[in-house]
Amino acid sequence: MASVYIPVQNSEEEVRVSLDQLPRDASDILDILKAEQAPLDLWLIIAREYFKQGKVDQFRQILEEGSSPEIDEYYADVRYERIAILNALGAYYSYLGKIETKQREKEEHFILATQYYNKASRIDMHEPSTWVGKGQLLLAKGEVEQASAAFKIVLDGDRDNVPALLGQACVEFNRGRYSDSLELYKRALQVYPDCPAPVRLGIGLCRYKLGQFEKAQQAFERVLQLDPENVEALVALAIMDLRTNGAAGIRTGMVKMQRAFEIYPYCAMALNYLANHFFFTGQHFLVEQLTETALAVTNHGPTKSHSYYNLARSYHSKGDYDKAGVFYMASVKEVNKPHEFVFPYYGLGQVQLKLGDFRSALSNFEKVLELYPDNCETLKALGHIYVHLGQTDKGQEFIRKATKIDPRDAQAFLELGELLILSDTGAALDTFKTARTLFKKGGQAVPIELLNNIGVLQFERGEFELAQQTFKEALGDGIWLSFTNKENKPSVDAATSTLQFKDMQLFHDLERNGHHVEVPWDKVTVLFNLARLLEQLNESGTASILYRLILFKYPDYVDAYLRLAAIAKARNNILLSIELVNDALKVNDKCPNALSMLGELELKNDDWVKAKETLRAASDATDGKDSYATLSLGNWNYFAAVRNEKRNPKLEATHLEKAKELYTRVLIQHSANLYAANGAGVALAEKGHFDVSKDIFTQVQEAASGSVFVQMPDVWINLAHVYFAQGSFSLAVKMYQNCLRKFYHNTDSQILLYLARTHYEAEQWQDCIKTLLRAIHLAPSNYTLRFDAGVAMQKFSASTLQKAKRTADEVRTTVAELQNAVRIFSQLSAASNLHIHGFDEKKIDTHVGYCNHLLSAAKVHLEAAEHEEQQVRHTQELARQVELAEAKRRKAEEDSKFQLERRKQEEELRRVQQQEEHFKRVREQWKSSSHSRRRERSDDEEGGASEKRKRKSGKKRKKDKHSKSHYDTEETEGYMVDEQEIADGDADLYDREPQMNNDAEENAQDLLAAAGLEDSDAEDEMAAPSSSIARRRQALSESDDDEPLMRQSSPIRENSTDMQLESDGEIGDRDKTNGDNAGEED
Amino acid sequence: MAQRAAKNKKENQYFAMKLAGLKSVDNAHDDSVWAVTWVPATANRPPLLLTGSLDETVRLWRSDDLVLERTNTGHCLGVASVAAHPLGSIAASSSLDSFVRVFDVDSNATVATLEAPPSEVWQMRFDPKGAFLAVAGGGSASVKIWDTTTWELFVTLSIPRPEGSKPTDKSGSKKFVLSVAWSPDGKRLACGSMDGTISVFDVLRAKFLHHLEGHFMPVRSLVYSPYDPRLLFSASDDGNVHMYDAEGKALIGTMSGHSSWVLCVDVSPDGGAIATGSSDRTVRLWDLNMRASVQTMGNHTDQVWGVAFRPPGGTDVRNGRLASVSDDKSISLYDYS
Repeated sequence: MASVYIPVQNSEEEVRVSLDQLPRDASDILDILKAEQAPLDLWLIIAREYFKQGKVDQFRQILEEGSSPEIDEYYADVRYERIAILNALGAYYSYLGKIETKQREKEEHFILATQYYNKASRIDMHEPSTWVGKGQLLLAKGEVEQASAAFKIVLDGDRDNVPALLGQACVEFNRGRYSDSLELYKRALQVYPDCPAPVRLGIGLCRYKLGQFEKAQQAFERVLQLDPENVEALVALAIMDLRTNGAAGIRTGMVKMQRAFEIYPYCAMALNYLANHFFFTGQHFLVEQLTETALAVTNHGPTKSHSYYNLARSYHSKGDYDKAGVFYMASVKEVNKPHEFVFPYYGLGQVQLKLGDFRSALSNFEKVLELYPDNCETLKALGHIYVHLGQTDKGQEFIRKATKIDPRDAQAFLELGELLILSDTGAALDTFKTARTLFKKGGQAVPIELLNNIGVLQFERGEFELAQQTFKEALGDGIWLSFTNKENKPSVDAATSTLQFKDMQLFHDLERNGHHVEVPWDKVTVLFNLARLLEQLNESGTASILYRLILFKYPDYVDAYLRLAAIAKARNNILLSIELVNDALKVNDKCPNALSMLGELELKNDDWVKAKETLRAASDATDGKDSYATLSLGNWNYFAAVRNEKRNPKLEATHLEKAKELYTRVLIQHSANLYAANGAGVALAEKGHFDVSKDIFTQVQEAASGSVFVQMPDVWINLAHVYFAQGSFSLAVKMYQNCLRKFYHNTDSQILLYLARTHYEAEQWQDCIKTLLRAIHLAPSNYTLRFDAGVAMQKFSASTLQKAKRTADEVRTTVAELQNAVRIFSQLSAASNLHIHGFDEKKIDTHVGYCNHLLSAAKVHLEAAEHEEQQVRHTQELARQVELAEAKRRKAEEDSKFQLERRKQEEELRRVQQQEEHFKRVREQWKSSSHSRRRERSDDEEGGASEKRKRKSGKKRKKDKHSKSHYDTEETEGYMVDEQEIADGDADLYDREPQMNNDAEENAQDLLAAAGLEDSDAEDEMAAPSSSIARRRQALSESDDDEPLMRQSSPIRENSTDMQLESDGEIGDRDKTNGDNAGEED
Repeated sequence: MAQRAAKNKKENQYFAMKLAGLKSVDNAHDDSVWAVTWVPATANRPPLLLTGSLDETVRLWRSDDLVLERTNTGHCLGVASVAAHPLGSIAASSSLDSFVRVFDVDSNATVATLEAPPSEVWQMRFDPKGAFLAVAGGGSASVKIWDTTTWELFVTLSIPRPEGSKPTDKSGSKKFVLSVAWSPDGKRLACGSMDGTISVFDVLRAKFLHHLEGHFMPVRSLVYSPYDPRLLFSASDDGNVHMYDAEGKALIGTMSGHSSWVLCVDVSPDGGAIATGSSDRTVRLWDLNMRASVQTMGNHTDQVWGVAFRPPGGTDVRNGRLASVSDDKSISLYDYS
């Protein structure tokens, strides 16, 4: 065992001090040292030994005693040892200062250290070790340049001074001149091959920084050979292991890291890496502990930044965005330039995005993008932000770039698709499909939202089968299968409750039978969309069950109520429909869709005042921004204007003006709103501006035909009305027929009536009658149609009789038609009732009277015609007889024997002929007189009638127009609603995707605007919403729309029947006048 | 009967039912064809197809080639309904002028001309035994039952007014009767009206029994199952076909699929399927076990106003036949198996 020998003063003896048995109390040793005036190097050795043994206090005590003034005095000439003691103390305090984290104490240590070094310098200015110590002190203080100067002084004196070399290497390292640093380390090693491990550590670090990883690793390993507990080397090696990114590398790296931690738990670097590791393993508690410790033990900017970053990340992943934001911010503050450590910028950007601070997020992401211009995540994030900021194009550009850089990033395609929905559904669908393929290829589950969006787009494009498949794929397995699968139907007797729209018994029963009735929240939208699609496919029963399933689990799902109401409405069950809408309003009494629908239903129920209030409420609920509510109000005003038979011109004008104003308001908000344009056209037509309105209608029609989704029969009808009003009957007929076939499956008796009217005006009586018969067949209980048919027959007969030339067949047909007319009228007089049908027996009796009159006249005509025919036949017969007779006569002439007889015969013949001629003449006279008489009469009739007709027809046309336009506008509105609903549905979709929320709202708005252009037929037919899938998605939630449509159209129909009555009345009047005329003639 | 139904069920599980187009006659009439029925076979001839049209004629066709046998004229306004006596000897046709013409199928001799003003005439049906002819009376809110031996009006079955309604109600509280159907045992008669309600009568006691609710749009066609006197099918403008337990007043099922009005419905002689025709221009075949549409025929180009399964009986009628008529003036014949 090593010992020192303290020579006993004035003797040859020595006191042996065993170094491993130093007394605990340093005073004992000090006493000896002092008493024996031991050489100072012994003091140093003993102090160092104490230090090595970790007895720092004793170490300090001895050195402080050894540097005390009395020692200085006593050993004044022993310069080197005194310096060494001072330097040791300086180095000690430097070290204390270096590891001290509290600023004030740190400063104090450094001051003490500086004092000792200065003292040493005063003893000998040129002592290199003092300079080295000073250099180290300066390094510790971070004053790199001064440190370098100190080392240089030493190196200038002795270029192989190892400590100075090391210090200078350290300086160069800190300056970032790693190769210079490496050279210095190498020289130090050459000069002093046995130098301690840290030299090699420096070499390793330099090589690491220079990218020479293998050599760096060798160096670190050498360090560990020399000093197995060298924390820095362990950490460095661990980092290098972690860098390999392989599972094995990470494992060995973590083992090393842990060892480093066990050896020295306060190494910030190791703490950070451990924290990093535990972040990935999800042990957030450890992450926080480690990083907090790391933060406590270091002042080094980048390391602190890293620690803050770890901490922020941990909070971020836990969803504590506020805290995460604070720590990201702290991390960013520790970083001078983004390129040093860019991650916190990204994290900060993410958190700001989450917290809605788009501008700040934007600048942070842009910093990241500067460094990594091809980073997909950043591009996507930027894309999102731009979309949120309303710069959709820029957003699209970024996301598109992301998809180009990584064509396998399904998420990017997904986002791109969502953006494209706004502008180009086809491209959006393609993009979504690409995303789906990518997800599938990657073996990942395809997100439900993606499938839903695809489904909705397919729905909007009319690819119902595909859409159904997609929705079913999105839904996967669940209770709904027992309702949607045909094969399973018998197991659930679903059909029985199809009509009980509010019946939830079915689901209770299922639960009781052990079925698990569960609808995951993320599938509700898909389920709703599927139901909407089923409606479109006319599977309204199944759709109703699905809606109820949604309501069973989510009783606040307003759209489901509205769709159920729409189905009820499509089935004409108005009361139930109103009840369902009221249920929806119970959930949200401000829901504009529900209010609009209720308004429509009330209109349908003929509850005008209530309807107006409800529509107002709907409009108020959306601050007048809801085009549908505004349009509805416009329509209400329009109907009000044309509603009454006895119109008040003032009121009518006011209502019309108001309607026009409302339509115009919508047009200002959404210049592409077809329905508003249609309404405006109607209002104009109402005022007689046919040319302008025709232009408007034509444009609307063109716009509507541009998309498969928009169905606007109204505009077709309106256009036809305008043609009709302008006298272009054949065009009007074509337009009506096309509309009927295209939109109504030929089932709309109202349009048939319009058609018949057009035929009537065009004097195409047979077409008119046939058309009316078809209408009667479709709407048997509409007696007005019969009345009209009777009138048409009467008119037809009258006009035939007026013809100058007609065959007996024609007259016979006329008589038959007259008989039919009489029968129809007499049936009507028995079956109808003024209150219900608007015509009374008197009027009918007049018609019957006139028809009978015509009939009797026709009978005369018929007789005449038949007589004429007979005559012709008779004359022919006579001629033949004459011929025969002549032949006989010739024979007789030949026969001279009978000449006399022949002469007699001739005479007789002549006499007969004379008689005949006379008869003929008489007859002709009679005939011509009757002819003229007939003609006169018919002229009179015609004149009177046509005049009247002209007058009346103007009025009539107007009325018809009104009714038609009403009808149209109402329908339009319905469509609008559908679109809106669809949009809502879409919005729901988007909501599911957190990043897209804002977009969705905007989308919805855009969609609404677009709705005008992009209505989906499907919805209308379904009488449902959603078409849009947004718009596109819309298709799904259309039900509401459809319902309103239905509602709307029904009041229209009523109106139009009123109109018809009126027009019928007019016809009746006209006929009456005709009848009168005829009577006068008689 | 239940056993038989069960047997049918079984069969249906083994054989998928289907329709196959056999023959189509374009321009079978000069205008829309609105009515169709099969005249059952008699001893000397096979069953015939009877059609009525807006062109005011009634025509007889021999299947399967659909050769025109005869054209009956005499109606004014369109022919809206035709009916055939179960024995096949006589038939009735009616037109919008509300005259019913009863005629001998083979000779076209007029047997009787019926009218009961102010009652209109819509759908007509002979009862299964052929003793009565039921005529839907339109706005008279009644069904007229004619005795087929005397051709006198036997009884008028009126739908009672709902309580509390005033005769002047604008909505028209009267039921406008469009369609009629006899139960297979002839004891019950159901009629459908414009407002969607179906009324059930006890014929022998001439008594109104109850309403069947569920539709709210016109019910243009009704038919009872041939085996189950309680089971009634109804076709409505709401696009749905309903199945009712006509005795229990219960709606058993709803079949949806048509995209527009369902204008007509008929049940197959085996009771396992129904066929419907719709304004959406299609004829659909529905499997009653699955309660789902199993086939959709799209050969017509306009509304399909009538479908009729050929009744069993006679010679060479082993195969099922379905006929459909349409606004497109054509008649189509399908093989049903």
